[in-house]
Amino acid sequence: MSITNLLENWSDFRHQHPSEDRPHLEYKWAMSIDLDSCTGCNACSVACYAENNLPVVGKEKFAHGHSHHWMRIERYWDNDGREFADQGAQFLPMLCQHCESAPCETVCPVGATNHTADGLNSQVYNRCVGSRYCNANCPYKVRYFNWYDYPTTDNVWPAPMEQQLNPDVTVRGKGVMEKCTFCVQRLTVAKSDARTEGRLVLDGEVQTACQQVCPTGAITFGNLVDPLAKVGKQWMQQQVDLNKDKQAKDAAEDAVKLRGYRILEELRTYPSVMYLEQLRESAI
Amino acid sequence: MIENGFNRRNFLKVLGWGGATVALSGCGNTSVEDGREFVTSYAETADYIIPSIGTYFNSTCAQCDAGCGIMGRVREGRVLKLEGNPESPINNGKMCGLGQAGVQAHYNPDRIREPLLRNGDRGEAITWEKALELINEKVGSVNPENVAFLTGVVSGHVKALLNNYLDALGSGHHYVYEAVAPSVVRASNKKAYGVEMPRLSMDKAKVIVSFGADFLGAWVSPVHFSQQYARFRKPDNGERGVLVQVESKMTLTGANADRWLAIRPGTEGILALGLINSLAAAGLPVSEDVAAAVGEYTSDRVSKDTGVSAEHIAKLAALLKERSPSLVIAGSAAEGYAHGSQNAAAIALLNQVLGNVGQTVEAPSSVPFPQMAPSTGNSFALQSLSDDMAQDKVKVLFSYGANPVFTAPAFFKLKENLKKVPFKVVFAHYMDETAVEADLVLPLNSAMEDWATLMPEYIAEGAQLNIRQPLMEKMYPGTLGVGDILLAMLKQRRPDEYNDYEDFYSYLRSAMVSNKDALGGADKDDDTFWETALSHGVVKLVGEPVNMTGSMSAAALVVPAPFAEDATYPLHLIPAVSASMRDGRNANEPWLQESPDPLTTIVWDSWVEMHPKTAAKLGIVEGDIVEVASKSGAIKAQAYLFPGIHPDVVSVPLGYGHEAMGRYAKGVGSNAFSILDPVFDNETGELAMHETRVKVTKAGQRVIIVKDEGPAGGSQMGRRIALRIPSNKVNLSEEV
Repeated sequence: MSITNLLENWSDFRHQHPSEDRPHLEYKWAMSIDLDSCTGCNACSVACYAENNLPVVGKEKFAHGHSHHWMRIERYWDNDGREFADQGAQFLPMLCQHCESAPCETVCPVGATNHTADGLNSQVYNRCVGSRYCNANCPYKVRYFNWYDYPTTDNVWPAPMEQQLNPDVTVRGKGVMEKCTFCVQRLTVAKSDARTEGRLVLDGEVQTACQQVCPTGAITFGNLVDPLAKVGKQWMQQQVDLNKDKQAKDAAEDAVKLRGYRILEELRTYPSVMYLEQLRESAI
Repeated sequence: MIENGFNRRNFLKVLGWGGATVALSGCGNTSVEDGREFVTSYAETADYIIPSIGTYFNSTCAQCDAGCGIMGRVREGRVLKLEGNPESPINNGKMCGLGQAGVQAHYNPDRIREPLLRNGDRGEAITWEKALELINEKVGSVNPENVAFLTGVVSGHVKALLNNYLDALGSGHHYVYEAVAPSVVRASNKKAYGVEMPRLSMDKAKVIVSFGADFLGAWVSPVHFSQQYARFRKPDNGERGVLVQVESKMTLTGANADRWLAIRPGTEGILALGLINSLAAAGLPVSEDVAAAVGEYTSDRVSKDTGVSAEHIAKLAALLKERSPSLVIAGSAAEGYAHGSQNAAAIALLNQVLGNVGQTVEAPSSVPFPQMAPSTGNSFALQSLSDDMAQDKVKVLFSYGANPVFTAPAFFKLKENLKKVPFKVVFAHYMDETAVEADLVLPLNSAMEDWATLMPEYIAEGAQLNIRQPLMEKMYPGTLGVGDILLAMLKQRRPDEYNDYEDFYSYLRSAMVSNKDALGGADKDDDTFWETALSHGVVKLVGEPVNMTGSMSAAALVVPAPFAEDATYPLHLIPAVSASMRDGRNANEPWLQESPDPLTTIVWDSWVEMHPKTAAKLGIVEGDIVEVASKSGAIKAQAYLFPGIHPDVVSVPLGYGHEAMGRYAKGVGSNAFSILDPVFDNETGELAMHETRVKVTKAGQRVIIVKDEGPAGGSQMGRRIALRIPSNKVNLSEEV
């Protein structure tokens, strides 16, 4: 690739997907999370450990920030000044936002993290050299680095614990960056099954592990291109446009609000995860 | 790639000739050709096995007693991941984190793999024949009166076999023990509604007031209630339900409440009566005796006693009056006192006054097979056993599904009393604190290797019998299911009746099939019935709603005044029951240890929660190691400052502080059970879990707490990350 080509077609490389002239063709995987339904119970997080072969690093490494929770629950208080957190906590399931214009992708020196045609921010483990630039550049802090060779570390997968490992998912070695994949192994199977039958994946046919387990059904996942998909209907109803960094509805001074938003949207990352604001009753 | 014209095709030709040469040069036929061995193709695999494709089998979760249906993904003979069984009305395909970790109980490296007989300080591996012979001999050599069974909750065919065994002995005592159970609420419900566990229809309620019932976290059937909660928050008509949580220490449910009211410990009943008073004053019709009983609970007095502001009492009463039906729930925070029964009765009376009984508090279904209905437990049972052991009344003790040495408070002196029992048999998965004390340890199959039927205490719809079936081959040949052990013991007592059954599976199948008419299989042949039951994982039974014939007497209701201050032990200790740690039985599953506590985000350790005000008074900052001392003992743990706790209260989570069990549990944190004071509920005799008074002092050290939240604590530092708006600004009915 010549430098001329790179400069002339810069927007193709830098800003490929969120553009009107190049819509997604068959699939654009996206998610929505209802923070009013989310109870912060952590079931999604544990399900992710089970599905994606995440190592349990233990207390000491956790203290060093080496934990591998691709799906983690952030907990915030808003009791500023008041004696108690008397409106409860704000729980936020934080996972890779699969940004359409992902800050992590542009800085990878070896192209290990890149965008797939169906809108996933993917990580090619055997290409990763461990520069960790992507981690530094991620505003959501959802990339996790293998500081150790966990398969050979004591008490991570002592026999016979390794028998639980999901054969559909790689066990990552030392020096590799990893992150949420939207359960790409499940997507691949669903797409392949659908292709065999000469059709596209139907809404509800594939679920991510976190979505499947969620006791309150707070997580919706699906194909944004599919007009029948619930996730797309939610985005549409909430007037959240994947390709905008500022939503028109936010400027409006309506009495009734729509509660869909994306985190740090103003950074022009174009995240594929929409959150629905938590609600609190004002009569009490 | 390959040069000199040697292409792939030629390469394969050479390989082919080479192979043929090897075959021709062999002597005679191969073992396959002359039929001594077989080559089995994957084209004829066992049923359902396709290499690389996962198949799902239904079973029942064993991580707690809620009885959620699970679906295990099995690939190449290994169970890999659990999902919820969509056919179970309890969890409808959903699960919790605790349930997910069930595979780690199965593949746990610290499982016991063969029967162990005590030899001095060591356990010596013996055969099952020898173990069973020993049991036969020991049981035969004592008076049946002196044989005791201690179990956790039992139901289904295991319970039937256990009862038959006790029956065969002619006596024997069965103590059902649950370290953390809503036993006082059960007793109070029985009085008020005529049933121990009515069906709570949260999705029909417009307001829920929960007095410390952590129904989203660890109370009764959390996955089921979580789904109801989702419908309660977002019903089809868009009228979002309002949750108010009243408790002294915030639970997961409290963290999700629209209003979390910090109440002075023990005054829950006073607030309930105060609300009735306010409701009556606002015009809600109440009977004369109720009006008389609550007359003195004016808003001012209640506010003073409970610490809940008069404004909030008024708002809550207005909300309850305006939005009907509502639902009021008494949970562990209300029942954990010496006057726990009275608190629970006051809360039940509030439900009655609000007209919720029959609306959101509904009758459960009767159980068609009472002999299989769950035997629920309580702490009183362990107290009785401990007393019996102290008086040398127990000569042979069997323990299954409980770890009393860990969960009994120190004042029980359980470990000492156990030493008086000459022969102790412990059925165990791990060498836990109780197994270490045993004379004979019998290793159990994991829930993923075992057969059982189970009937949960709380069933969402009608009645149901859950099936537990093996999701894979046994990991170790030396383990057995509890049903198999009981059957073998029964064969010793009643050979004529039980010798026909080769194992527990054959017993279970024949017991189910012979009752298929009552189990909804009247129109099916035996095999079809059985296969259907296994493939669904749940057998739905026909039961009638039982009569709710409770009697509430407002006149008899007396709620004591708030606690007096205690100068020596100024703080109340609340032992917290967390969603994943519960009573500590799952502490050796590393996913649960590394899964941050939702409220504090702490991992891999215990902590002492306290309000920043309390900490400031004591000169404590986050990470200080503090000593929490009661009259009955002391523990040390790191201090964590927390805005969701009453300033008169400190809280320590249960389930940590194992001295045995396995590599992930042992030595992690401190055991809060050990320092509980001997205070009991006046009516039921249950251990009053929230009655312990403590003093907290700095122990000198300070650590950096290992937790998930960042240095900013719970603050978003002005960034728009997790957002919240008032519900009246949103039109939920228009949402997708």
